[in-house]
Amino acid sequence: MITVDDTRVIGEARVLAGLDQGRLDLQRHLLTHGSLPVLTRDQYTKLCEAVGLRGRGGAAFPVALKLQDLPARGVEAVVVNGSESEPVSRKDRLLLTQSPHLVLDGAVGLAHALGAPHVLIAVHDARAAVSIREALMERDDRLAIEVQETPGRFVAGEARAVLSALEGGNAVPPGRRVLPTRKGYHRRPTFLSNVETFAQLAVLARLGSRGFSSTGLISEPGTQLLTIDGAVQRPGVIETPTGIPLDTVLQYAGAQAGPVLLGGYHGRWLPQTEGVTLQRPEVSAGIILALGSDTCPLGEITRVTQWLSSQSAGQCGPCVFGLAALVDDFARLTAGDPRGWHDAHRHLGLVPGRGACAHPDGTARFLTSALEVFDDDVQHHLTGRGCGRPVLGVLGGTR
Amino acid sequence: MNKLEIDWTRCDGHGLCAGLVPDDILLDEWGFPVLRGREITAGELSDARRAVLACPALALRLTNR
Repeated sequence: MITVDDTRVIGEARVLAGLDQGRLDLQRHLLTHGSLPVLTRDQYTKLCEAVGLRGRGGAAFPVALKLQDLPARGVEAVVVNGSESEPVSRKDRLLLTQSPHLVLDGAVGLAHALGAPHVLIAVHDARAAVSIREALMERDDRLAIEVQETPGRFVAGEARAVLSALEGGNAVPPGRRVLPTRKGYHRRPTFLSNVETFAQLAVLARLGSRGFSSTGLISEPGTQLLTIDGAVQRPGVIETPTGIPLDTVLQYAGAQAGPVLLGGYHGRWLPQTEGVTLQRPEVSAGIILALGSDTCPLGEITRVTQWLSSQSAGQCGPCVFGLAALVDDFARLTAGDPRGWHDAHRHLGLVPGRGACAHPDGTARFLTSALEVFDDDVQHHLTGRGCGRPVLGVLGGTR
Repeated sequence: MNKLEIDWTRCDGHGLCAGLVPDDILLDEWGFPVLRGREITAGELSDARRAVLACPALALRLTNR
């Protein structure tokens, strides 16, 4: 289990600046970051465009495009999605508990620029909720700011599920595909993004595009937050420049050699880490899981699949039945049944694109890349003798 | 262009649509529709509309985009 106190920085500390001495209250926040300049909507859009800022919640959608999609007037709310439902990720609750004012600056600054009367903060973690409420007591933003605790189910973190929960409904994605920028909170135009996106916005507003671009990639400058876990000696959240080599981060965290899962439970397996750089969209929400070499990969993958299947909202048939079938397929495959392998391939074709949200798609992506990368292990298991390694549970998943 | 679309949160796998527009919808092993995803031509439009109206869960839709 990673605690939020395990934080480290490679290169320049930006969103994690000042945290080496603990949580930033308003006074220490202002000493570290300075006050937030007042910018117009136009300036925010231009800044985001200049530095190619992308959402940090996983989908990596360009923030400038999201801003441009909002109507000229009548923006109802700015929503901070802090539900962080990826079980391994810790970066958002770290920001909310340790540097809440930076996140609030990003959201409040943008709400003023957009003329939005509401700022809504959806939080799952109890400590994060306390921290953000404490921070709100210290400031006066002349806006209706609301902190709401949302359920922790995996699918409940999806943008439209968060909106539904904020409106008092069930935290499940709706059946119609609508954009929050058009029909968001109470069906009104809404700017919704991940916690880290708002922290980055607050940094960007202060540094300007030139200052912001002094580190990281040319295509997407700045820093990023990564959560590293699995077979590593020092798990936790790391701030690094964008485009840093994966090997550097693995070495820094003391990871065992072996395959790496990039992008969390909806991510992809990497057969080897050499030459891989960390950038969006591949890095998704910034989760790096090292598998190591002491555990049975197929057993680990089956456990994660079980967990993913249990996290379905239960709304869409292909997700409910398809993910359950895939758990069964992988369990049989691990036990050496060749029919499990055939069924898994067939079911992986039946699941993607057939649900209200991307949960079935993400699960299929994870499993499809697993079958590619662990083909040797699959062959070992299909002989009926297994790979001879125990399932240690390094990836988490079902206990 | 006209296309069929499914609201997966509503669909309960009754399977009527697959009988009414077999060229556009198949059923998977759990009885849920698999869309062929092709365009609905003007001639097929009345069949497609009938399938949309027949859906007991109001999950099938015809979109025009």
